[in-house]
Amino acid sequence: MPAAQLVSASIERIINHLLKLDSDSKAALAKLKGKRLTVKLREFPWPLTFVFSDKVDVLVNESFDNQSQKEQANISLQDTASANQDCRIELSFSALQTIQDSSQITGLIQRNELKLDGDLSVAQGFGDLIKNIDIDWEEQLSKYTGDVIAHSVFNAGKQAARKINKHTKALLTILSEGAIEEKNIAAHKLLVEDFCSDVNQLRSATERLEARLTLLEKQRLKTT
Amino acid sequence: MSDTQASSAETNQAESDDQTHFGFKQVDKNQKASMVADVFHSVAAKYDVMNDLMSMGIHRIWKRFTIDCSGVRAGHKVLDLAGGTGDLAAKFSRIVGESGKVVLADINNAMLTVGRDKLRDMGIVNNIDYVQANAEALPFPDNTFDLITIAFGLRNVTDKDKALASMYRVLKPGGRLLVLEFSKPESEMLSKVYDLYSFHLLPKMGKLVANDSESYQYLAESIRMHPDQETLKGMMDAVGFEQTTYHNLTGGIVALHRGFKF
Repeated sequence: MPAAQLVSASIERIINHLLKLDSDSKAALAKLKGKRLTVKLREFPWPLTFVFSDKVDVLVNESFDNQSQKEQANISLQDTASANQDCRIELSFSALQTIQDSSQITGLIQRNELKLDGDLSVAQGFGDLIKNIDIDWEEQLSKYTGDVIAHSVFNAGKQAARKINKHTKALLTILSEGAIEEKNIAAHKLLVEDFCSDVNQLRSATERLEARLTLLEKQRLKTT
Repeated sequence: MSDTQASSAETNQAESDDQTHFGFKQVDKNQKASMVADVFHSVAAKYDVMNDLMSMGIHRIWKRFTIDCSGVRAGHKVLDLAGGTGDLAAKFSRIVGESGKVVLADINNAMLTVGRDKLRDMGIVNNIDYVQANAEALPFPDNTFDLITIAFGLRNVTDKDKALASMYRVLKPGGRLLVLEFSKPESEMLSKVYDLYSFHLLPKMGKLVANDSESYQYLAESIRMHPDQETLKGMMDAVGFEQTTYHNLTGGIVALHRGFKF
């Protein structure tokens, strides 16, 4: 079974399902209507093409036989994506976050962390679309259970989260005090700060001494 | 004689003179279209459900692979032949956009109606036309389409050579034909398991879900009578397609053939 198609189908299904749950995303998607974006993640074996309409279709830039698959893996982005893309980007997974900040793009290109061809605003628009998906999960649950149950469930969930947070903090305090006061296996915060301050003073004194020694050495060399 | 040659000879023999195959039966050539039509009239309503059930959903992946190999872009004209319930046409419609056009064609009115209703329900109306057409005599001018696809339809066509020639005629120079069709499994073991499944389990599933075991018996038989990978490639070459290749999917149970017109 073609793994690439299985992956692209899953990605497409997830994206469209999330967009469907957030009615506000329609406007952002409408701005991208008719555009195509090809993304080649360096850690991912196949370039993916996103086609925007009232949905997002995800295509794999497929090659037909094994020989051309090998060729496709080796050739550059300009060659792999069809000429009709609005934007083509090739980048590593770690650069995905950085690309959202326009001021970082030149740096990314200079460091060869990003290859870009076409209109970057398409890629940024898609990034914004995904980033700004805001789903009201309580509303979604209420469609199946009714408002009262959904509200109660989410209220209970929030209270449980608060309690877990509170208990986690208390537990960490107990563990911290036990380690410092009773077992003496960790130092108190103030002692650590004092120690760091002493180390800094020692470093300064050592640097001063080193500078003085260098000066004396130079004077000795001049007199001899 | 090699397997391919033997298969080709069997196919030619089966389709000699005025006779052709309908599953394992020999019927008059002029009867086959109406017999196939009866089958699809019978299964149209449950077609999507049965496809999912019979292939365990894998047919969607095969169709995705076909779309990924299509190279279709905004503004293209696409003919989805034997388009059935419009699985391929729906996606092509979004990809070609408002400047492009998709024609969903099927010889069977019941299938076309189901497909049209389904696509309209999905909101796909602007760039799609529906045409009831026989693949052997396509009612379009020469050099019309950038892409023609026929998915799980060619084996039901009475005169496949004539249909391929007709597709070649309406394809634009530079355009491509993609034929997605059941084919011959590559391994002997898979072939046996597949036979067991399609001749014993498939008709029972058809009976249970669509209350129609005969149509699904025909499906299994028609798959065995369809030309194998090399034979179909030769048929495409013979009508003029160039750079013809095929790609086996799921061990050769299905193959995607591709040919270009230059």
